[in-house]
Amino acid sequence: MKTYKIVVLGDFGVGKTSLIRRYVLDEFSDEYRATLGVHLYKHADTLVEEDLKISLVVWDIEGAPLPSGQTQRYIVGASGAVVVGDMTRDDPFSAMWAAADIFEEALPGRPLCLALNKCDIATIDNEETVARMKRRYDCNAFMTSARTGDCVTPMFHALTRSILARGL
Amino acid sequence: MTLLNIDLVLETLGIVAVRLDDDFIVREVSGNMLDIPLNTDMREYMPALYGLEEVFETADANMSMPFVQIGNARDEPIALTVRRDPETGVLWLFLRDVREESAMHRQLVQNHNSLSLAQVELVKARDAAQKADRAKTAFLANVSHELRTPLHVIIGGASILSKARNTPLEPDEVTDYAIDMHESGVLLLQLVDDLIDLSRSETGNLILYEERCDLCEIARAITTLCQDLPEARHTVLECQVPADPVWLFADARRIKQILLNLISNAVKAVANLNAAEVIVTLDPDMPSLTVADNGPGMTAEEVATARQPFGQPRAGVRGKGTGLGLSIVERLVSLHGGQVVIVTEPGKGLAATVSFDPERLLKSTSLSQNVS
Repeated sequence: MKTYKIVVLGDFGVGKTSLIRRYVLDEFSDEYRATLGVHLYKHADTLVEEDLKISLVVWDIEGAPLPSGQTQRYIVGASGAVVVGDMTRDDPFSAMWAAADIFEEALPGRPLCLALNKCDIATIDNEETVARMKRRYDCNAFMTSARTGDCVTPMFHALTRSILARGL
Repeated sequence: MTLLNIDLVLETLGIVAVRLDDDFIVREVSGNMLDIPLNTDMREYMPALYGLEEVFETADANMSMPFVQIGNARDEPIALTVRRDPETGVLWLFLRDVREESAMHRQLVQNHNSLSLAQVELVKARDAAQKADRAKTAFLANVSHELRTPLHVIIGGASILSKARNTPLEPDEVTDYAIDMHESGVLLLQLVDDLIDLSRSETGNLILYEERCDLCEIARAITTLCQDLPEARHTVLECQVPADPVWLFADARRIKQILLNLISNAVKAVANLNAAEVIVTLDPDMPSLTVADNGPGMTAEEVATARQPFGQPRAGVRGKGTGLGLSIVERLVSLHGGQVVIVTEPGKGLAATVSFDPERLLKSTSLSQNVS
């Protein structure tokens, strides 16, 4: 069984680690703890509808500004990406555009998806921007909440399906 | 010359060197920091290698990651370097224990991120405080303006009536001044009442006196009351509610106030139309009350303005009310756990629907009770 590398990108404090830990470990903590470098989670899962076992390595990448080129080095060989934004922020999308551009430039044609995170405590004010991002990157957007678990597993499953559909 | 003992060097520096074949199978391990069995797939031990198979096919492959953590362990980072020896073509992987240096780096990153997040929150709080301050200032300016207008009418009228003159005023003139002063006095009283309600709702001191009340009966009573409004003289004002009572656990006086405000607004909106119509309907299941008119309607921006205290939806056009009615309606409805939905388009009338929390619906057999 092939193991797929999925990278999770986004600004610091948007909930990348929380989303991953909700998906892989089904846990959540309010405590903010910055990720240093990268944190890897190997996870075996099943796509129930297809009755298909999958193996993923999910890369939790430090959100603080990194030395030039470091993010690009981390995403080498990734099959797909989750780009996370914190919907409680005034402008959650600038950092999402930047992260999605880095991924697409490094690995054109590989799927990504948008995690519009913290949707349990925020609403999306700018649906037009979300629609533009979906068109630009040919991707899906998920209103996620690591706290409640809403849409977290479906998002990783949908991304995995996109990876499989592209024969990566 | 003494040869350098590589194993001693690696052990001293806390480095493990792993020789891999092209399929990432472990062929040799030097250093003793970690127990890595020979002939196993290194990717199972170091999942960072997954996805990198193609990258390390090249002769000059080289990758370095200063801090890598794996799995649930949160405080055991290692530094990872993978490179192919350009002379021998052998693939080497180096792991180094960086727990000590990572602690300092982590603290720096944690501090940077926490400070940045705190700064964002502070800017948000500052902006919110400034916005609230501007709103308060605008509100006070509006209150002053709204108080001065009727006061001027009263003072001016009283001044004219009390002034000694050679030619006395005609009785009709006296009556007109008295009517103007009375209307201004009523408006002032209403404004003060509204301000008190608004202030109480802002400070959480507006208390509901809840009891079992019949929404249908309230709708009929208030519609009848509004038929006597001067602006409603040429308006068809109908109340289309079920004959059977719809019992709600609510503050009856406040429900009447809500409906009075909405019908009054609707009547004023259609006052100048030829076929003016205001219809009050009730959905017993929601439960909700709707006041719909066939007036000029509003744009979304005008509705947003109307929802603000003293908001005048049409620039330059002042209504006869205090401009606080809709704000108070929204606060009263919110206190009842409901919401106000306004559906309108320019030229297509306006329908304001007040829906209440369905849990407030009472069966006809429920006992009435008072809660403050």
